[in-house]
Amino acid sequence: MLNQLLKKIIRTGVGRGRFIMAGIGLTIAMLLILSAVQIQVNYNELLYGKSNQDSIANFLVVAKVINGNNRENVLSTEEVERLKRQPFIEKVGLLTASRFKVSAQSPSDRFPFYTDMFFESVPDEFIDVKSDDWKWEPGSTTIPLIIPNQFLDLYNFGFAPSQNLMQLTQSMVMALPIVLNVSFQGQPIRFTGKVVGFSDRISSVLVPQNFLEMANKQFGTQGDVRPSRVVIRTNDPGNPELVKYLKDNGLVTDADKTRFSQYRRIVNTVVNASWLTGAVMLLFALLVFSLFIQLTIASTKNEINLLVTIGAAPKQLQRFLMKQFLPANIIITIACVVTITILQYVLQAFLLQQNMYVSQWISWYTLAAAVVILVVLWIVNYSTIKKYIRETEK
Amino acid sequence: MQIQLQQVVPVPLKEKFSQRPSDIWNTGITFHSGDWIKIVAPSGTGKTTLMNILYKVRHDYEGSVKWNNDDLRNISGDELARLRQQNVSVIFQDLRLFENLTARENIELNRVLQKPYYEAPVIDEMAASLGITHILHQRAGVCSYGEQQRIAIIRALVQPFEWLIMDEPFSHLDIANTKKAADLIAAECKKRSAGFVLTDLDEDSLFPYTQTFSL
Repeated sequence: MLNQLLKKIIRTGVGRGRFIMAGIGLTIAMLLILSAVQIQVNYNELLYGKSNQDSIANFLVVAKVINGNNRENVLSTEEVERLKRQPFIEKVGLLTASRFKVSAQSPSDRFPFYTDMFFESVPDEFIDVKSDDWKWEPGSTTIPLIIPNQFLDLYNFGFAPSQNLMQLTQSMVMALPIVLNVSFQGQPIRFTGKVVGFSDRISSVLVPQNFLEMANKQFGTQGDVRPSRVVIRTNDPGNPELVKYLKDNGLVTDADKTRFSQYRRIVNTVVNASWLTGAVMLLFALLVFSLFIQLTIASTKNEINLLVTIGAAPKQLQRFLMKQFLPANIIITIACVVTITILQYVLQAFLLQQNMYVSQWISWYTLAAAVVILVVLWIVNYSTIKKYIRETEK
Repeated sequence: MQIQLQQVVPVPLKEKFSQRPSDIWNTGITFHSGDWIKIVAPSGTGKTTLMNILYKVRHDYEGSVKWNNDDLRNISGDELARLRQQNVSVIFQDLRLFENLTARENIELNRVLQKPYYEAPVIDEMAASLGITHILHQRAGVCSYGEQQRIAIIRALVQPFEWLIMDEPFSHLDIANTKKAADLIAAECKKRSAGFVLTDLDEDSLFPYTQTFSL
């Protein structure tokens, strides 16, 4: 009953039209800020989501820029440690080079070749070849090798045609034993090499780590050599921070894999701009809403004054006014969340056609943002009402 | 509940009042619980000012007013509202009704501001006794002053109170209606063992006053 009477007294001052306008402003602002949150979540999901990831792109071989001034362009222990500390780098694997001379030759005259060569090794987790033969037992003279796919391409499409040699398939190469001669104190020590796989990731001739450790110790002719290259695993090779870090520290990597960082920066800017727009809009909407409340109170100042005079408690009036404004805020918030949910559902279906995967539901962050905004609205309403009731009282 | 006035002088009237003697201004005076007090004064001597000071509508005075030993200046907000709902009721000279509410709604509002002292039908009984049943559904703004005054009287009487403050409550009523209104007020005050402070221009014998003052 009291509320009905208060409604009759306080409603008289302000038009419904203004209330609706203020509500529309708030709705638009809230839609903007909630979509900004949801867009950010979708964007992150597209970048880091499991189903959107390209496993090859996540491993980068990083080396010092070769500028011709230094004889050696090696990474110091300190530089490697610094790499490990970067948030965008998950793991760092050192490429260990061989410190002995080795040559390879064909065992058969039907297919003659001879070359001086080198080995490198890297922890297994950085290798993209899965093979049961990729292991070396101490004492064994058979060495598994992984060579870059590019080597085979170079041979098949460049070298073989020019020399009138037959082109080789991967399985042919893997079937071919290779004689490896490691030179030790002037004497050759013979091993048998066997290619067990081809790597797209690391362009080097890889041998198992334990073999290289043993061989370096036993046959090594040079002292401790620091790594000239490392493999890093990152969750996001297009991360502009990573690209910037490498550039700032005189490091290079496969440019192809980091090319997207340029686009990423642009998209980042757009996403941030949508945040900013949403935030500014929300600020204005809060202002409009609080002005609306002030207007309501100011235009019924005499009535409120009289109510207080005959004994209405400020608390009663505040409670009543909150009841007038808060339901509208709650309805607007719910309507916005529902709208965003529908949009997300439509967006998910659309992106699926483009082979991009986002969740069909809105994120918890979006819901949390809606709740936070509602709380902020409550606080703004409450403090405005409290302040102006107190002022009216005087 | 006691009402105490200590050296109260309204600031705007200070010069004027310091030159002539008064029972109220610039003295110490106590209204005891249950007292029926009449304050007689000609126009322009500050009756309404006194009523507004007693009810804490005006603050521009020197000295102090105490409700139950609490200085009125220190009572505000929800605490003041609680006292106005439970302990002190008022009839203003300028009536102060909500023009957009009907007569009944004006009364009902003061009935339901706190836990109701009376059930709703009491409004009809009181309206009948003052002869305004026929205008209860009318907007207060279109009622005559005489009708509005009776609405204001009933409004003041539907709430609990220990003190009733009345500022020329019969100024728009004829003798017959004044008598009816005074009887109703007396009955309601007796029922609550409440006191009242009533101001008027002239002496009268409408109530068995316990004290009479002149401003």
